[in-house]
Amino acid sequence: MILQFNHLQRKSAAATSEDVIDALYGLLEEGHIDEAQFARLRIHLDWIQYRRNFREPVMIMRAASEAGEDPSLVDVHIDTRQISPGALRGKLHEAMLRADPEAPRPDGRLVLEDFHSFRASIAWKFNGLYWHHLTDWEKATGRSYEQALPGGKSDANHVDAVADSVADFWTLVKDLESHNQLPTEIFVLEIGVGMGTRSGLWLDRFRLLDEERGTRYYSRLKFLLADYSLATLERSRPAVKAHLDLCSFLVLDALNPIKTLAFLRHKILHIHLTNVYDNLPDEELARRDGRLYLVQVRAYLPIAEADRIAHAFRLAVTEVSRMVGRLLEVGPDCFHERSQGVAFWQDVWKCLRLEERLVPLNEVTHDRLPAGLDARQLADVLRTAPSDLRFHLSSGALESFRNTVPLLHPRGYLQVQDIFISNLNDCRLGFQGPGKLDGSIVNWVNGVLLREVAERAGYDVHFAPFHYRKGSRTSILYTTQRE
Amino acid sequence: MSLSLLPTTVVGSYSMPGWLERLKTEYFARRISRVDLDEIHDTAVKAAIKDQEVAGLDIITDGELRRDNLIDYFVERLPGVQIDRASKKFYYDFYDSVVEGKLPHASLGLVEDFRFLLANTGREAKFCITGPHSLSKRIHNKFYPTEEAFATDIARVLNLELKELVKAGARYIQIDEPYYSGFPEDLVWGVNVLNTLVEGVQAKIGVHICYGNRYGKPSWEGSYRYLLPRIFDAKVHQLTLEFARRGEEDLQLLRELVPHFEVGVGTIDVKTHAVETADIVAERIRKSLKFAPAERLFVLPDCGCFHLPRQVAFAKLCAMVEGTRLVRKELGT
Repeated sequence: MILQFNHLQRKSAAATSEDVIDALYGLLEEGHIDEAQFARLRIHLDWIQYRRNFREPVMIMRAASEAGEDPSLVDVHIDTRQISPGALRGKLHEAMLRADPEAPRPDGRLVLEDFHSFRASIAWKFNGLYWHHLTDWEKATGRSYEQALPGGKSDANHVDAVADSVADFWTLVKDLESHNQLPTEIFVLEIGVGMGTRSGLWLDRFRLLDEERGTRYYSRLKFLLADYSLATLERSRPAVKAHLDLCSFLVLDALNPIKTLAFLRHKILHIHLTNVYDNLPDEELARRDGRLYLVQVRAYLPIAEADRIAHAFRLAVTEVSRMVGRLLEVGPDCFHERSQGVAFWQDVWKCLRLEERLVPLNEVTHDRLPAGLDARQLADVLRTAPSDLRFHLSSGALESFRNTVPLLHPRGYLQVQDIFISNLNDCRLGFQGPGKLDGSIVNWVNGVLLREVAERAGYDVHFAPFHYRKGSRTSILYTTQRE
Repeated sequence: MSLSLLPTTVVGSYSMPGWLERLKTEYFARRISRVDLDEIHDTAVKAAIKDQEVAGLDIITDGELRRDNLIDYFVERLPGVQIDRASKKFYYDFYDSVVEGKLPHASLGLVEDFRFLLANTGREAKFCITGPHSLSKRIHNKFYPTEEAFATDIARVLNLELKELVKAGARYIQIDEPYYSGFPEDLVWGVNVLNTLVEGVQAKIGVHICYGNRYGKPSWEGSYRYLLPRIFDAKVHQLTLEFARRGEEDLQLLRELVPHFEVGVGTIDVKTHAVETADIVAERIRKSLKFAPAERLFVLPDCGCFHLPRQVAFAKLCAMVEGTRLVRKELGT
């Protein structure tokens, strides 16, 4: 058996870790695990920092192929934060039963979809639903989504960070002007505008600096506020009301900005995103014994929760799945009363879990990987990574990056403020998602793969810690033109 | 060999196939031999020549598929330049290179490439080299007192190479100087260097000046206005410039340029995969004709097709040829 610690929460997790070992040997002695099964086990001790997530306290993950299940690989993930010592043995026993392909499976799940790559899971439809019906969600919870963030506010709006960003940009503009290369129109793009607070702060600061220096750049600005959600865009307007003459509001898919803004190819001097990449569709790969696996998931509700939801919304439990489908199709109007639809949505989301399995990738073909990343690059990246590893492909983030940089002016730059890992070792030192943030999904972004894709697109990327707030986990990705 | 009115050609490079990129990188990883790579290059060059012929171009190049990028093919051949072969991770990266003494005069061996091209096409052939100004910007100079002195010595070495090319039958040579646009202030001495390079070279000499195409994106922006009037002192026959991507802003400069030079007009945007129609190309040529007579114009893409997928590059060249035919017909030729 391999016991793998995937976190650095020494003190707070130590007791649970001891309980895990006790429970495992107890199950062995009692005959609930046989020796062969024991020898194959890989126990992963995680620490999931997101109080709301998609995991049971104990989760079993088997390898499977089209030919059937492969009993030689069994991963057991234990969330040492969520599990209580009293429940550990029972949960482990149940997990062991699920691990045995010949044992009858314990019931207890209302399955909502087939196994897919995470990217194709209905979990992302819930995520989309959240952004499209944000107002309904916030009305029901009584708090804005920014208030729901850890810490209650976004690092995007840190005044000092914004001031530094403006100063950097002003310096670039000044330099371009000194070389007679400043375009007549100075385009700036903010993707994912939130409440518009950062854009407002940025524009206020830029105007002030411009007036102080007497440079008259402000009037040449074309500031584009872009977001996936029209509702969000509408809410951002008041924050930039003093600058509306130079602002444009664009509904834009962050996965493909160039599709909307092709007319600005090579024209935008500064593009900024905060906490967008961590909310884009994602999927994971795992490497076990030198072999790569795709992590597939399927969404389910624990049957007790499904029963409770059915009862609360006067549905037969067999109707819950159909109603979830309808919710994802038409939104909260799936019920006669919209408020009831929102309540159903929130309840299902709260209880939604993801079952996982590993599917071997016999060949890492291009269609398995995000655009811009090929099998050889991936192999190069993994060459120096820990041998047994589970990592995010961050396919949405990579796709977004690839489809954003063509907008940049030759001297323009992209800044992304987000939660990045910049070393694959970090995958073994903490949980990178998915977690639930209110009604949305959050994943850490694989900065190592992003760097690879960026290099092929002609950009070097650098990560700098967000030093403006102590304890912040965010970093700022900077792009520079690759020579 | 007489050329049609509005002769069509490429700027130099043709589409770099993904499989060739991977094989080049394999070579750097020491997983295939130099002999194998040379054979692969020969095959790829033949295919590039064939594509240009089928597309209907009047003047053919070797597609520059032997080259990793616009710099390294020359840097690794320039005598006296030391390169760090471990500095490349991907074939397209630039070597770290340095010059620590006076450049000796010796052959770069480019003539073999040209002979290969001649042996594989019956059409007019063009050979392209990267100019001394651009090369001097990428090689770390630890010897020469000034950039101009360094670039001038590169020009002297390359001048001998150009003369060898002419002896081998080259009648049309193109010098690529994209870094002019990044360092317009260098043009003051850059034209002197260019004149050193072409002195006594008995061929049609063109100079390609663009705004960069590294990784398929521009490196700089601005107006070709910076070229004037200094460029009029250049002892070359032709300038090839990019206009398709950059729009019509600079087209009127043709009026000032054509008394001094033929102009190769960029009519294909190589920084987008969207394929122009023949009508779009024809319209771009017609707009150029408002400022310059057809007899002084060549028709080209904006820059090399290196970063375009092969099917896109081929389709774009076909559109360029067809668009040119439309205009020729209108002109009665």
